[in-house]
Amino acid sequence: METGRTRRRLPLAYLGVLPFFLYATAFLFWPAAKVMFGAFQDDAGGLTLDHVQKLFDEPYRTAFKNSIEVSLVTAGLGAVFGLLLAYAAIREGTPRFVRAGLTTFSGVAANFAGIPLAAAFIATLGTIGVVTQFMTEQLGFNPYDHGFSVFSKTGIEIVYLYFQIPLMILVIAPAIDGLRREWREAASSLGASSWQFWRHVGIPIMTPSILSAFVLLFGNSFSAYATAYGLTGGSVGLVPITIGFYLSGNVLDDPHLGQALAFGMLVVLALMMLLYIPLQRRASRWSR
Amino acid sequence: MEDFQEQEYEFLRRLEEEKLDRRKLLRRGLVAGAGLTILSMPAGALAARRKALANPPLRGGALSLKEWVAQAKKEGTLNTIALPPDWANYGEIMSTFTKKYGIKISNDNPDGSSAQENQAVRSLKGDPRAPDVLDVSPSFAQAGANEGLYAKFFTKNFAKVPRAMKDGRGFWVADYWGVTSFGVNTAVVSNIPKTWQDLLKPEYKNKVALNGSPLTSGSAQAGVFAAALANGGSLANVGPGIDFFAKLKSAGNFIPVQATPQTIASGQTPITIDWDYLNLAYGKEFPAAKIKTSIPSDGVYGAYYCQAINATGPHPWAARLWQEFLYSDQGQLLWLKGYSHPALFTDMTRRKVVPKALTAALPSAAVYSKVKFASPSQNTKAKETVATDWPKKVGS
Amino acid sequence: MTPRRFIAPSAVLWLLLGAAYFLIPLIATLIFSLRSNQTGTCCTLENYGTIIHDPQFLKTIKTSFILSLETIFLTLVLLVPTVYWVHLKLPRLRSVIGFMALVPFVIPPIILVVGLLDVYKGTPTWFYAEPYGFLVAAYVILAFPYMYFSLDTGFRSIDVHTLTEASQSLGAHWTTTLVRVILPNIKSAALAGSFLTLAIVMGEFTIASLAVFDTFPIYIQYINQNKAYPAASVTLLAFAITWAAMVALLAAGRGRAPAAQGAR
Repeated sequence: METGRTRRRLPLAYLGVLPFFLYATAFLFWPAAKVMFGAFQDDAGGLTLDHVQKLFDEPYRTAFKNSIEVSLVTAGLGAVFGLLLAYAAIREGTPRFVRAGLTTFSGVAANFAGIPLAAAFIATLGTIGVVTQFMTEQLGFNPYDHGFSVFSKTGIEIVYLYFQIPLMILVIAPAIDGLRREWREAASSLGASSWQFWRHVGIPIMTPSILSAFVLLFGNSFSAYATAYGLTGGSVGLVPITIGFYLSGNVLDDPHLGQALAFGMLVVLALMMLLYIPLQRRASRWSR
Repeated sequence: MEDFQEQEYEFLRRLEEEKLDRRKLLRRGLVAGAGLTILSMPAGALAARRKALANPPLRGGALSLKEWVAQAKKEGTLNTIALPPDWANYGEIMSTFTKKYGIKISNDNPDGSSAQENQAVRSLKGDPRAPDVLDVSPSFAQAGANEGLYAKFFTKNFAKVPRAMKDGRGFWVADYWGVTSFGVNTAVVSNIPKTWQDLLKPEYKNKVALNGSPLTSGSAQAGVFAAALANGGSLANVGPGIDFFAKLKSAGNFIPVQATPQTIASGQTPITIDWDYLNLAYGKEFPAAKIKTSIPSDGVYGAYYCQAINATGPHPWAARLWQEFLYSDQGQLLWLKGYSHPALFTDMTRRKVVPKALTAALPSAAVYSKVKFASPSQNTKAKETVATDWPKKVGS
Repeated sequence: MTPRRFIAPSAVLWLLLGAAYFLIPLIATLIFSLRSNQTGTCCTLENYGTIIHDPQFLKTIKTSFILSLETIFLTLVLLVPTVYWVHLKLPRLRSVIGFMALVPFVIPPIILVVGLLDVYKGTPTWFYAEPYGFLVAAYVILAFPYMYFSLDTGFRSIDVHTLTEASQSLGAHWTTTLVRVILPNIKSAALAGSFLTLAIVMGEFTIASLAVFDTFPIYIQYINQNKAYPAASVTLLAFAITWAAMVALLAAGRGRAPAAQGAR
């Protein structure tokens, strides 16, 4: 009886996700497919690999390298700091208003990007920024004399964390909620220290969620561009910025190359997913 | 010539409407022939024209201004795109147009790029929100004309625009031009650089910026051209310009940030390489920064923007009235008030219709006389060089 | 282990560091926004006045806010049943949808909007020419990754099978199970996703500008590119307004106090 039920139910089960897939096809896949085809078309409409081949030349190679590097760094640091901050706010002992305040602030900060964010950090860490001046006058140490500049890849990473950390906080909070107090108590009653709890219980439980969040942060950083452009004027090559040059600028005009770059982004993210799926499976193997 | 053509068209159209036998045809032919002389008089011609024309004529001079205004008023609105009010005084131009002719202007996406303007024409074809008129950089104007996005139109003063600044077929015409200049925040920097070589001085450490990247910003690309002219390059060879910026960067003077009004007013980018009309306008808008504009004497490069009419725009009459307004003396002087050089500047100077106050607000004419413009092919070659070399030499 | 009464010292450290990192740039912006255009020094509220008295400011905020609410609603309606269903019956689809969720990142908004405009050019005006039709459809796609990963995390931390079986064994229909049993348990995840969606819509620029609609981010971009001191004040006003909207969302979503809060 059970098997009969499940076998008959399986096709019906897919019906439940049909509305979503229809919507995704209509508004995401079809336009996206047009773009991907465009990457392989030449102006006459025939097929060509020229555009995609160009991706392996400079400056596009550097753009991909930079984008991947910045995304990995900001996703990693964002995940770590976001987790620490979220835990600090949610753990017991911390007043409830701290969590509410942090969550709502994170909601806003997670999308505070573009020129306003760049301008805020220029006003803070620029050559005449508030913090720079404070450090020069009060501490006698001018970071710009020692090779630091906010108008660089490092600067981009510092600024990107402003929306990566809040994104992590928002996404990981439900997972932290899922860490039951009873587990902590059980572990401590068995003699485990705080560090041992985290290493053997806490982190393994949260790893699947942390991995999901990392992938989200990576994608978020990979596709961001307005902030980096406002901060460095396009001198640090990033893939979305380069796409913008070719699709919506005042100088260059090459839609097919832009589409090829987007195709390249798809490949990078597909590779990321290929790494993510087995890792995720391994991390959640104990829970099923 | 046109009048005859119009009458012929009108005649043939009427012919199709009725079944005519030979006699009637001959009689009408006689009447038409006799009437041609009478109909060629303005009043009669007006009546005939109004009945025959559903589409606007090809030339601005074909109708009187009153007729243009009457037809445009029936449409009531003009859709513009990518016109920042602070750019070459477009704000005043738009409000003057509305006040004078009673036609509302709906200005979308004031910060749009030329690519976005052309794209809006493609994507919004047939939509009432599509832009009627465009102001794009020359390479996009050419691409748009070749793609069939624009309509042909010859304003009354089309013939007076210099040949190098218009499309012979009538698809686009230059509206105003400016040159690359240094905008200096004298509250922060007291010594104004006068030449490109000056920029390398150590006192300007961390102070020089472009308005974006030369791969996407017309003004930044112009900066590269001008630097090339000043450093042994030419309009056909912008490599030395890129090398100059690389030198500027390694000297520590060049900050790779996009100069915006915020960075200019705050003093983060006290020396901004940008269009003269923008820098001069900043001088008025940010009094605290005491911005002075200096045009480097060793490399004077200029570029113009182009007016075009959307071939499938929703308000064709209003669009053409807008162009007629822009190329009238009033429109051109408003551009001059915005510190840019309008296309008919030489003609107006010759006719002595330019108020002294406006020319006095600009830097000396002597510097402007040295200006060089790039041809379309030079532009294309420069774009390719910049696209590959700039990220390598100046990027990171 | 007795429950903590007071905040842990390490928590204080991280919260203070976090506060410093997030608040200092905002304070720097505030200082800049209080400067007068005439003299370049402190202190005046004229820049805030410039923004608030601009009719475009209120008009675009209203448009963007309504767009956000619509997007949140549509995304939740579309995604909550789907993610629930996947977790319950079709676990293999999890990685498929996970990959689909990355596609909006890959397709930069600039390319997505050109594709969308191209595909939907002939559709009726009430969809194509209205921000409340075309733009919402596009924004749901943009919000999808964030909402999906939030909901995914939320569903992972509850025991979907047990809850469903328990509810069904008590005789509840699917919809009752979904609305009255599952939804309250993933409330924090759904709220997190809604926050992100609200912020996305209030901050999305590319699609709105290429599709020629007049939204709040377009207004902000215009001010940032053309004005100096008011740019800083509009930034802070936007921040404050979005934050207020989040608080309102939080209060609306709270209703009953959520059940067992885990590590408390």
